[in-house]
Amino acid sequence: MRKIWLIIKREYVTRVRTKAFLWGTIALPLLTIGVFAFQIIMSTRQLDHTLKLAILDDNGGLAASITRRLTGKLPSGEPTFQVVKTVSQPASEEQSREELLDQIRKGELDGYLVVPKDAASGTAVEFHTKNPGNITMKGSINRAVSDAVVAERLGKWGVRASDVAQMTQPVDVKLFKITRHGESVEEGQTFLTAIIAGMLLYTTLVVYGVATMRSVMEEKTTRIVEILVASVRPFYLLSGKILGVAAVALTQYLIWAAAGGLLTGYGTAMARSVHPGASMPKIQVPWSLLAYMVIFFLAGYLLYASLYAAVGAMVSTEQEAQQVQAPLTMVIVLSFLLFNVILRDPNSRTAVVLSLVPFLSPILMILRIAMQTPPFWQIALSLALSLGTTVGVVYVSAKIYRVGVLMYGKRPSVVELFRWLKYT
Amino acid sequence: MTATTDAVVVESITKSYNSLTAVSDLSLRIRRGAIFGLLGPNGAGKTTSLRMIMRILIPDQGSIRILDQPLSDHTQDLIGYLPEERGLYPRMQVRKVLVFLAALKGVPETEAHRRAGEWLERLGLASWSQKKILDLSKGMQQKVQFIAAILHRPPLIILDEPFAGLDPLNAVAIKDIMLELRDQGSTIILSTHRMEQVEMMCDSICLIDRGRNILNGELQAIKKSYGKNTVRIEYSGPTDGDFLNQPALVESVNRFGAMVEAKLRPGADAQEILKAAVQSGVRISRFELIEPPLNDIFIEKVSNGHA
Repeated sequence: MRKIWLIIKREYVTRVRTKAFLWGTIALPLLTIGVFAFQIIMSTRQLDHTLKLAILDDNGGLAASITRRLTGKLPSGEPTFQVVKTVSQPASEEQSREELLDQIRKGELDGYLVVPKDAASGTAVEFHTKNPGNITMKGSINRAVSDAVVAERLGKWGVRASDVAQMTQPVDVKLFKITRHGESVEEGQTFLTAIIAGMLLYTTLVVYGVATMRSVMEEKTTRIVEILVASVRPFYLLSGKILGVAAVALTQYLIWAAAGGLLTGYGTAMARSVHPGASMPKIQVPWSLLAYMVIFFLAGYLLYASLYAAVGAMVSTEQEAQQVQAPLTMVIVLSFLLFNVILRDPNSRTAVVLSLVPFLSPILMILRIAMQTPPFWQIALSLALSLGTTVGVVYVSAKIYRVGVLMYGKRPSVVELFRWLKYT
Repeated sequence: MTATTDAVVVESITKSYNSLTAVSDLSLRIRRGAIFGLLGPNGAGKTTSLRMIMRILIPDQGSIRILDQPLSDHTQDLIGYLPEERGLYPRMQVRKVLVFLAALKGVPETEAHRRAGEWLERLGLASWSQKKILDLSKGMQQKVQFIAAILHRPPLIILDEPFAGLDPLNAVAIKDIMLELRDQGSTIILSTHRMEQVEMMCDSICLIDRGRNILNGELQAIKKSYGKNTVRIEYSGPTDGDFLNQPALVESVNRFGAMVEAKLRPGADAQEILKAAVQSGVRISRFELIEPPLNDIFIEKVSNGHA
């Protein structure tokens, strides 16, 4: 129908030619990756100065043992830890604790360990510090203390710790991912790819769903919709709008796919030119994943956009829009919250079932596809269920849209909405 | 009048929403080439009726024909509509909005571009054609919207309060264009509360109240049917218009500052009023026997219905 095409064209052109589109295309993936990377970096940040520790040892010999095991150097070459003071079996433990606390407050110490007399039988060692958040520090200290205590226990049995260390040396298990084409070394990039794919899909569904809603609202508040419905059937208006916004989203996906392809091919070279010595994790983004992302985005978008459009048609103010669209956005967020369930075991029964549920399927199925391509019948079934639901949803949304765009005033109640479904 | 000279034929249309009947058994005919006034109090069912003519709503019962055809997607293209609540895409360029809306009505884009340029020029908006709608003043936006309603040269034009918010110069320009369109063969439905406009421009009218047609026909014929039962007097002088205080002769009085319209009781002799006025000492600058203003007819008909 020629008129739908006109609507699609207008929606597309008015969006694509804006700065917002440009920024969104660049910013969205960067943000997604950036937020993720930032968190990882922050939690594993290297310390930048030697930590001064003290050990309050009630046990007698452990302090030295622990000190020996606190090896490790900072990038600058300085030792990570320095045990500046050992208090062995003090007369008054309380007083010693006070002193140490005081020293920490004054900044002379970064933390102190309290080793109880019966540490070997399992009583916990305490570590007091101002900054407990640093994972690396905690890990190192944990290991040092553990090894020291275990060594003491072994010593009591007459076994040398170094012998045990050799016997229990962990064996490296190298991970390979099997795909249809063969195998490749897995270094965690599958996980990364899955998360990024899932996040992108999640973000675009929300962003474009809401964009559709706003488009409906703009036409309603400016009243231009009155002329529009006098020129074209409301259903065509709605379809044109949804398809036009979809086209914008697809353009963005195309640009990302192209960029992603470039990165995969030339990523390391590009990174090296900026930061010598850098290397990109070898992210393999198979074309099939990209294709599925587009397919599932479309499937999810059609479903959500029709509902978002119905929301836009029901309300008259920004405030009402916020209220009414909340439950819908919550459903998308639910997919996000279920990431873990899928990522942990993509083929568990729960994961399979969840990836078939219509509203959740686009995002969850993409996660599964990225992790470990599920059997084709599952993908097909998921799509079929989603599209089937979409048909019903579009029917209802179209009716709501048709009545709602010309109605102003109080937001309709659920009962009123049902009546709308019967209007011609 | 045969059916083929009618631009619009509405037959017994009814439209209800739940318990509310917006339009009830409404019938009317609009002659081709007429300027037809659609009048009625707020909430009377005018907008609903217009929406049914434009096929935005479907009547529960009855039928409508436009230019000798039943309503269809195609008849939408034959109608130009200026709604009462105005609005266009705020961030879109004036020219582009006009082309888009005309294209929706079937005008090829290059042709739409050309016509838009001409109309913008004619209404003094040529330099604004590439600006965004929100950059224009309200009056300018109104003019753009008017152009949008007629750009596709529709044979049937529906204008809802076209003069609202227009200064006298712009109002005259629009009025002239309306008359010109009529002379070129278009039929115009004018929906307005401004009775003076209706009196000046409309050939025939229909008064709707509570979803029903309570009065319709040729405007002049309707007025004549009331006879010259109103006296219009302009006067000056130290008086409070007491001479009009004659319940036996005068049914009601409408004051407009220095001018007064007095409705006479049936059978009353206007000359008595004149005598009373002269005797009271006022200086009379105008004394005229006229048919009732449409305003009065409107009020009378609607009040009777609500009584």
